[in-house]
Amino acid sequence: MLVSRNWLAEHLDLTGLSNAELDDILTFAGVEVEGISEQGVSSDLVVVACIMQTEPHPNADRLSITQVDAGEGELRQIVCGAKNYKVGDKVPCALPGAKLPGGFEIGETVMRKVESRGMLCSAVEIGTGSDHSGLMILPADWETGKPVHNFVESDTIFEIEVTPNRPDLLSHQGMAREVAALTSRDLKTVEIPIAELAPAGDALSIEGQDTCPFYTAVTIRGVKVGESPEWLRTRLESIGLRPINNIVDITNFVLHELGQPLHAFDAAKVSGGICIRNAREGEIFSALDEEDYKLNASDCVISDHSGSALALGGVMGGQDSGVTESTSDVILESAWFDPPSIRRTARRLNLHSDSSYRFERGVDPQGVASASAFAASLIIRLAGGSIEGPTIHAGAPPELSGTVTLDPVRLQQLVGGAIPMDKAANALERLGLTSTGENQWQVPSYRLDLQRHVDLAEEIVRVNGLDTIPSRNLAKAAIPGRVDTLYDLELDLKKQLAALGFYEAQTIKLIAESQLRDVLPLRPLQDGDIIRVRLPLSEDHSIMRPSLTPSLLSTASRNVRQGAKAVRFFETGRCFRNAGGGKATDLETDVLGIILGGGGQPDFWARGANEACDGFALKGLLENILPGVQLQLTPADPGNFMLAAQVTANGKTIGSFAQLSPSRGRELDIEFPVYLAELDLKRVCEFRNDNSHVVELPQFPGSSRDAAMEVPAELANAEIEKSIRKLDEPLLVSFGCFDVFRDSTGEKLDSSRKSLAYTFHYRAADRTLRSEEVDAAHQKTLQHLEKTLPLSYR
Amino acid sequence: MKEEIAQIQSDALSAIESASDGQTLDQTRITFLGKKGRLTTASAGMKDLSKEEKPVVGQLLNTARSAIMDALETKGRILQDEDDRASLEGLDITLPGQPLHPGNLHPLTQLKDRAIGILRRLGFTLAEGPEIETEFHCFDALNTPPEHPARNEKDTFYFDSGKLLRTHTSTVQIRTMEAQSPPVRVIAPGSCYRRDEVDKTHLPAFNQLEGLYVDNDVQVGDLKGTLEFFYRAMFGEDTEVRFRPHFFPFTEPSFEIDARLQLKGQDPEWIEVAGCGMVDPAVFEEICKVRGDDLYHPDKVTGYAFGMGLDRLAMIKWGIKDIRLLIENDARFLSQFS
Repeated sequence: MLVSRNWLAEHLDLTGLSNAELDDILTFAGVEVEGISEQGVSSDLVVVACIMQTEPHPNADRLSITQVDAGEGELRQIVCGAKNYKVGDKVPCALPGAKLPGGFEIGETVMRKVESRGMLCSAVEIGTGSDHSGLMILPADWETGKPVHNFVESDTIFEIEVTPNRPDLLSHQGMAREVAALTSRDLKTVEIPIAELAPAGDALSIEGQDTCPFYTAVTIRGVKVGESPEWLRTRLESIGLRPINNIVDITNFVLHELGQPLHAFDAAKVSGGICIRNAREGEIFSALDEEDYKLNASDCVISDHSGSALALGGVMGGQDSGVTESTSDVILESAWFDPPSIRRTARRLNLHSDSSYRFERGVDPQGVASASAFAASLIIRLAGGSIEGPTIHAGAPPELSGTVTLDPVRLQQLVGGAIPMDKAANALERLGLTSTGENQWQVPSYRLDLQRHVDLAEEIVRVNGLDTIPSRNLAKAAIPGRVDTLYDLELDLKKQLAALGFYEAQTIKLIAESQLRDVLPLRPLQDGDIIRVRLPLSEDHSIMRPSLTPSLLSTASRNVRQGAKAVRFFETGRCFRNAGGGKATDLETDVLGIILGGGGQPDFWARGANEACDGFALKGLLENILPGVQLQLTPADPGNFMLAAQVTANGKTIGSFAQLSPSRGRELDIEFPVYLAELDLKRVCEFRNDNSHVVELPQFPGSSRDAAMEVPAELANAEIEKSIRKLDEPLLVSFGCFDVFRDSTGEKLDSSRKSLAYTFHYRAADRTLRSEEVDAAHQKTLQHLEKTLPLSYR
Repeated sequence: MKEEIAQIQSDALSAIESASDGQTLDQTRITFLGKKGRLTTASAGMKDLSKEEKPVVGQLLNTARSAIMDALETKGRILQDEDDRASLEGLDITLPGQPLHPGNLHPLTQLKDRAIGILRRLGFTLAEGPEIETEFHCFDALNTPPEHPARNEKDTFYFDSGKLLRTHTSTVQIRTMEAQSPPVRVIAPGSCYRRDEVDKTHLPAFNQLEGLYVDNDVQVGDLKGTLEFFYRAMFGEDTEVRFRPHFFPFTEPSFEIDARLQLKGQDPEWIEVAGCGMVDPAVFEEICKVRGDDLYHPDKVTGYAFGMGLDRLAMIKWGIKDIRLLIENDARFLSQFS
């Protein structure tokens, strides 16, 4: 909201209060000043000057050299760039030392080797208008040498953010009350006539009591619609409003003066009388803004006896019922509308006005009648005419404020005893509350927000400022909970991945429908498991990600397009799915996603061409972050991927693994193979947390034996491992494949077969094994394998 | 024979001396000590010697052999050392080092961890809640009027189920108090969502950190003390912090917090860093209704709550001018936070 300092000063004496001080006082009372702008100049050094001579500048075509009379007894030479003046014109002249709006200070300069002792100004430069096409030509009768502000009032405009709980501040009177309270100054008495209300007969009726509980109307006959006087236009223009005609300007003025929105109807266009009713479902209303709006039964309509809508109550007048040049009789509406109803209507129709803004926050119910009387008196003063009959009303102003009890014990607890009760009481009194008994406070009708003890406590703290309350810090030791433990484990994991040469990515959890083809969820997705936002901002952010891989792939693609030769990223975070086709619970699971592809080592001058990572690099990484865990990949339906597998840890599925299909890679501009893994983060953390016992180092040496075996090409290493584990040979402490040989030509080995070499390590905890013992255990192992699997030793 | 042995020894030692590389030295060893080497051949003459001469000559042979072997070994070491030194010849240690794959935590993670670390020092523990929330937890329980603009479908993401994406982490206040009896001292970092178009300062998803402390005597002074400590620990102990009264539906009194911070290349200025306030009794009353007990009755407990934007804090801390950098994961950006 814009507040004019001059306007404010009509309500209280602001002498000695600088703009910066006012800014501070309001801001630290919770009325945030978002901007301050100067209108006009306040400097005595910007004076009326008469142009006496002008000649072209010898060194610049666009400049001229003027001699001006600034009332100093001698002429002053000023270089000027404008062309719109003639000798004899009066213009604003900024003398050296003058500060213009925006903080620009004028000095004596030399422009293209010609001395210039000041500046001739445009309207924009002295902050009085928007015309910057040339010098501002002043009226000829303004006295040369006098400060311009003697003729044009300068003003300061405060842009204020009013929080939704303070509709009482949405007027100059309201702001003045606040400033008076905060600075302990007295408000000036503004004469507001008292309206005599008479019950309405047939002329006024309310059918929709829920949306409009109180409505007043007064008829003024014989007005002369025309231009508003200078003072009124200045007031409106200072806060950015365009003057229209005296009647409309007065309603706007009263709105910004008292905070009560009014509406003036052309009485000639009201047939019969006024009826306030709820709109008919689907009723079309043509508003002042020349748009048609489709109403529903919760909207409030001001109509006449013919049934046609004159205005959308509390929001906007109708296209045809307003005051025009030819209007002679006016019906002035002043009413109180139900805030939620107005908010619903304005929001649904996306139709917001200064009126709806105030009504939906709540105007002073007791101010409705006096605002009407004030506006009526202004109309008679400025537009002539006379009031016909009494101000009629239907309904009654709602009683929304009353007596509130202040609990001193709770107040002192809140502020730690820092604000004595007399200061607390003083703060409330300054805010217009009156004490009606011990700790009983009568709240003024405009403070709809003060309903409970805590509301009064807030006012007391706000007015006293937080500086008066000492800071306290009573830290207490806390045992980490479940979430703490998981957080710590997750962070350890992330640090390890970073140390292994991976960047942590963070992406938005809303993804595009088209990215669904890239998902690698922990468990296969059913139709309907996808959770869609009802009204997405864009297709790009329409789905709650069921998996991290789509975002990791776009991260990879972005980096490759920026020249990255390897992609190594991980992300942890929530993934979302519905447990059962959209009909069951929405599940949120914390997931670890990893993407790996490209050069296994960064490029280095001492090494030749760098080989791209294969899938075993990612599998090795998973083994690395899950030490002591039997990690295995079990092939799964690849779907959109080239290859997919379930990741199992100690036999339990904890996630998925995949190789991106090369064609999808090419779409993303990625030419090297890309591998993805997605793991259940909680389970990964649990496995890592499990690994907390130290195993004693072996006291006795062990022995290794190797074995090469030929097996069908399709026999998986996992089968061999499984078989060895099943044997459970006590002396065998570890084993593993160290070589794989295949020959696709079939020359050295039939292409349907492969040769695998394993190493086996035998050891006993309590003695050094004799060679025969090792051999016996090894033979047992080999025979077991031969018996259980189709293999032969080479 | 004695002379021959002496000659062989002398020849061998000089041959060893003159050997210039390992291969020549090895050849020398074979020439003298090999199966057909000169000393080996000479020792074959032992059998023709007299009983008296045998031990003397044998002694000489042994001496010669060990002298040659010692010389070979010494020379071998010298040559090896020379080779070792030669391997460094032409080495330019100013060439670039062998790079490792870089990696580090995302700046938001680093900042979040720092914030959590500071608050844990004050006795806060972590709490969490779902991101897909009910209107009750996001608005109703937080004293937000039914017609409040934040509930609008233009500002908040809704689902067909009627649920929504939480617009603030304050939902975790409610979740925590539902499940846990007072006292409660928790922080909850997490994602929040608002229907903001993507630009330099807005994303539809952002990160907040919520704090809640409820006990039987929580005062405005506690709120001040905690948050002053936080921002001093975060931005330096001389950091000034101020509290401006404000309005939030779920706290009363409410404040916005400004910290006086110096952005890179700029003068210090007051920058809004958080919202906070004393928990509104209406929130406690709602909690009592849900719990079906009166442990959180406003006559029994008071509390404070605060919420800060982590993305914003990161942007301030590192002078990041475009919030989108935080979600684009460009390695050239991420590498700056190692």
